Amino acid sequence: MPKVRRSRKPPPEGWELIEPTIEELDAKMREHETEPHEGKRKVEALWPIFKIHHQKSRYLYDLYYKRKAISKELYDYCIKEKIADANLIAKWKKDGYERLCCLRCIQVRDTNFGTNCICRVPRSKLDQIKIVECVHCGCRGCSG
Amino acid sequence: MATSLGANTYNRMNWETSDFPILCQTCLGDNPYMRMIRETYGKECTICNRPFTVFRWCPGAKMRYKKTEVCQTCAKTKNVCQTCLLDLEYGLPVQVRDAALKMQDNIPKSDVNREYYQQNNEAALAKTGGSSGAGGKAPNELLMKLARTTPYYKRNRAHICSFWVKGECKRGEECPYRHEMPTDPNDPLANQNIKDRYYGVDDPVAEKLLKRAADMPKLTPPTDKSITTVYVGGLDANIKEQDLRDVFYQYGEIRNINMVTKSGCAFVNFSQRECAEKAVQGAFNKLIIKGRRLKILWGRGQGAPASKPQEEARPLPPVPGLPPSLPQPPPELLAHDFFGLRSDKVPQPPMLRAVAGSVLPPLPGPAGLRMPLIPPPGTHVIHYPSQDPQRLGTNKSRGNDN
Repeated sequence: MPKVRRSRKPPPEGWELIEPTIEELDAKMREHETEPHEGKRKVEALWPIFKIHHQKSRYLYDLYYKRKAISKELYDYCIKEKIADANLIAKWKKDGYERLCCLRCIQVRDTNFGTNCICRVPRSKLDQIKIVECVHCGCRGCSG
Repeated sequence: MATSLGANTYNRMNWETSDFPILCQTCLGDNPYMRMIRETYGKECTICNRPFTVFRWCPGAKMRYKKTEVCQTCAKTKNVCQTCLLDLEYGLPVQVRDAALKMQDNIPKSDVNREYYQQNNEAALAKTGGSSGAGGKAPNELLMKLARTTPYYKRNRAHICSFWVKGECKRGEECPYRHEMPTDPNDPLANQNIKDRYYGVDDPVAEKLLKRAADMPKLTPPTDKSITTVYVGGLDANIKEQDLRDVFYQYGEIRNINMVTKSGCAFVNFSQRECAEKAVQGAFNKLIIKGRRLKILWGRGQGAPASKPQEEARPLPPVPGLPPSLPQPPPELLAHDFFGLRSDKVPQPPMLRAVAGSVLPPLPGPAGLRMPLIPPPGTHVIHYPSQDPQRLGTNKSRGNDN
């Protein structure tokens, strides 16, 4: 996520169409950054950050790959400016990872038994009906 | 005490590393495929304050994570589970076990003395390699009565949600803690102390158990000396007659065993009264076959069921086709009474005695009805006295009842 625009070049064609949505998501992100942590659990504090990060990347991914509404130049510009998370998008192109919530949830080296996060387990494989929110990003299930 | 593993102080305390925890079945949970996390020198032992290898695991679905609390030396000294501090053999608190076995411990409670004691103890355990518990002795009667037969997994449930108790839990459905009201805080069971439980002093759970042992009912043998039957309840399909025979033959000669599979009980009939008394004394509250604690009671004599008096009072309908009793002779004959035929002396069949005046119509006059009384067919079932097993008179006790 860029704090400042790094490139001197003017943004490519079509930027003015997606700019308001990007601005809006940025404003939401800033709002959650300044939100007090009181009354929240320790793990809960970062959940909205992960969520908005996911939303922003998803917006650009959909525009370019699904709806084909933006040009390659504009998409590359957004990746280069780190408006969209290239690594996360790279995972979405893989089978079974189409709805991946965040990269921490598939980082097996961070877990005790070398496993993925609970949100990566398909709903049908879980024997309990109880809702589970994962500790990393508050995801309730992102596998198909 | 050495504060770090590398510090080389004289006569340094040994830090404990282990590959496997010492745990009871309840603490391990019901899942045979369980994974554990091991952390060497993860925490200090709650009793001896030395760093030890901490194990952490989840004992089954919807249970809370558990971890070992005391080091293996402390656990072996008392022969207790590293997590719940209950005796490994009986699953009972240390205080109850020590009270029952009349064991005394002399673990010093002050710092240096305790360290010295632990050091010596550790060396001794390393030599023998086993626990110093009460193994090898005959099972204690009190412990057998109090011990659980099956693991008590409820102990592993999640803790109560303190936010929910205050009415401010916002997690709702997702909350991993238990949404239940806690027991009364004034209840002595609500405040337990891990050190007290380990040393076996002021343990509220132990006091409760010892009180229960004192209040346990005792079976008094029935006054009827002819009863030699012992009732065994709580059976299931796995327990066969041979299992009961294997247990009860030690008390004396068994006449027969009557299994009632439908109601899950059995009647063990001994040939002698003393044997039955011995069996009840030996097995009451203690008999465990195939993991089931069986209920022992005195049987009732089979010839004297409790519901008998009501049956006796019910008048029986007369048998049709039998001649009624002869009519009274005319009064002029009665006055002479040649043959001792006074009305009160006339022997009558018992059936008629029971129903006299109630079912039979009054006998009409001296020229009485000689025809047998036949009731209209289909009104009621005919009762023949000879069919009644209680009137048979084959058994002496039965005969007395009539």
